[in-house]
Amino acid sequence: MTGRATFALTAFGLALLALAFVLQGAAADPVWLIPRRLMKLAAMIVGGCAVALSSISFQTVAGNRILTPAVMGYEAVYLLLQSVLVVTLGASGLTLWGGSGGFLLSILFMLGYSLTLDRWLFRDGRADLWMLMLVGLVLTMVIGTVTQFLQLRISPGEFAIFQSAAQISFERVEPWRLLVSTILFCVICLAGWRGLPALDVLALGRDQAMSLGIDHRRAVRRLLMLIAVLVAVSTSLIGPTAFMGIFVANLAYALAPGAGHRLTLPMGCAIAVGMFLLAQLMVERLFDYRTTVGILVNLACGVWFLALMLRQRSMI
Amino acid sequence: MDRPVAPAAGPGAGNDCRPWRRRGMGRALPGALFAALCLASLMVGAGRMELAQLTTFSGEAWLTLTASRLPRLAAVVLTGAGLAVCGAVLQQILRNRFVEPATTGGLEAAKLGILVALTLLPGAGQGVRMALAMAFCLAASLIFAVITARLRATVLVPVAGLMYGSVLGALAEFYAYSRNFLQGMQGWMLGDFSKVVQGSYEVVWLVLPVVAATYVFARRFTLIGMGAEVAASLGLGYRAMVVLGLVLVSATVAATVITVGAIPFVGLVVPNLVSLWRGDDLTRTLPMIAAGGAMLLLICDLLGRLIIWPYEVPVGLTGGGVGGLMFLFLILWGRR
Repeated sequence: MTGRATFALTAFGLALLALAFVLQGAAADPVWLIPRRLMKLAAMIVGGCAVALSSISFQTVAGNRILTPAVMGYEAVYLLLQSVLVVTLGASGLTLWGGSGGFLLSILFMLGYSLTLDRWLFRDGRADLWMLMLVGLVLTMVIGTVTQFLQLRISPGEFAIFQSAAQISFERVEPWRLLVSTILFCVICLAGWRGLPALDVLALGRDQAMSLGIDHRRAVRRLLMLIAVLVAVSTSLIGPTAFMGIFVANLAYALAPGAGHRLTLPMGCAIAVGMFLLAQLMVERLFDYRTTVGILVNLACGVWFLALMLRQRSMI
Repeated sequence: MDRPVAPAAGPGAGNDCRPWRRRGMGRALPGALFAALCLASLMVGAGRMELAQLTTFSGEAWLTLTASRLPRLAAVVLTGAGLAVCGAVLQQILRNRFVEPATTGGLEAAKLGILVALTLLPGAGQGVRMALAMAFCLAASLIFAVITARLRATVLVPVAGLMYGSVLGALAEFYAYSRNFLQGMQGWMLGDFSKVVQGSYEVVWLVLPVVAATYVFARRFTLIGMGAEVAASLGLGYRAMVVLGLVLVSATVAATVITVGAIPFVGLVVPNLVSLWRGDDLTRTLPMIAAGGAMLLLICDLLGRLIIWPYEVPVGLTGGGVGGLMFLFLILWGRR
């Protein structure tokens, strides 16, 4: 089966899943249920696509199939910035700025983080993959402790509540945030559209890309900036996704072997959104709300990634 | 990058001729620092403790001291020393500089064990919880040791361990959520000494015999670090020593997780710093590792108690933050 046919099949399955999600049991109270579910669906689509696009293009830039923005600390930095904003501006300051003002400020900082990462880690172009991953994981944990510390300062009494919020969830989607995120996402997609052929060239590696006439440094920087915004969108909308990006990207490569980004990117988006839909349906139908989407996704992706690592061990 | 753990003579090994150490300053200085930290730990707290009252050996100040401050000091020192020794033993067994209970899944496994004990045997005492936590931790460590036995790349092992830990953590979360237990679990997700009072922390004393036993076998653990072949040719029962080491590690991890919760990275950075300074011969370095772990945790605990006084930052945060930064430094320093 060609990659295109697989994608058509995946998209068809996705549409069915989406339909099932919106309509299941909706007869009870369609006026109340359907708009809410549509909003959740929109969050899943924007968030899932942002995760897939950022992960796949980051892997292309990094030149491997393991590192993703989430692993390299992007999401942790975004969550840290949110806490820093609350501490420095105060809750009232945040409302004064307007929710989107804080959001835009965070995006600026994310761009800064992205460029710092570029300078420090990809500078020599041949950094050891597992070393980078270890640095990323430990950095994520350290940034996480700083975030938790700030949240503790904000309200020492409600600490436990904050801790549980750091997972994927579609329950806290707000309309205005969805709107801002969707607009930003569309802008990024338009901006990235032109660079799509360049991504395929970048995938050949730094030297090949340069010999084919790509300004490697500039292209990488541009991409890292787009990725920073995408991560900000997904994290603010649905929360940190941890290892999901690795799963989505690798499944996309597996379903469309040898295909260019024109196919793997939409494939990844479809897989991510499908995964969210499946997890949400499982939470509602199979587990009867005794688990959460975040827990299910973390568990599935963690087990899968561990298996991937151990299967590869003979090669390493 | 692949630096073998085999005892390379560190700069301080052998006959040391630096005058300040010959005069005994090398021991006196850390000793004084340790004593000062202990004293500071006793004096800091939300409640006031009148020193004058202490001379009467009764009254409120005496109660504060014996029921809260002294148990806390003991818990901090024992946990720090125990975790650091744990890390040193694990690093010898797995022959990797970057392992410790947090990067081998041991901490998460112990949490899972406590969770299972709490849900399946709600009436059981601390002994049962301790046993289950230890059994889970031991099983997880054994599995991890077998899985990673053939991994060659030094940094791959901790990455695999962190993933392994996060899978075990996700499993624990899944289990806890489905039994409506997540809030309760968060109590010991994060290391916290603030709940340590007389009568609730005594399990942590188990660390003392474990550290003593580790010291007795220190030479053998050092030999293990040279690999199965070398150890066997020197007349060591390799497998038995590995299992013994993992049992000792699991006992410490279970005891500390039950009493104070999970504190990552202390067991990783302290043995590494000590071995940079004094080499890898555990018979010589183990006392320093234990003291170093205790001091690092004392500092982290004091920090946590002072930053937002009279509130407290859990030591899991300060320890994880300070330890994590030191870990990052070690990784990047090793890369150069």
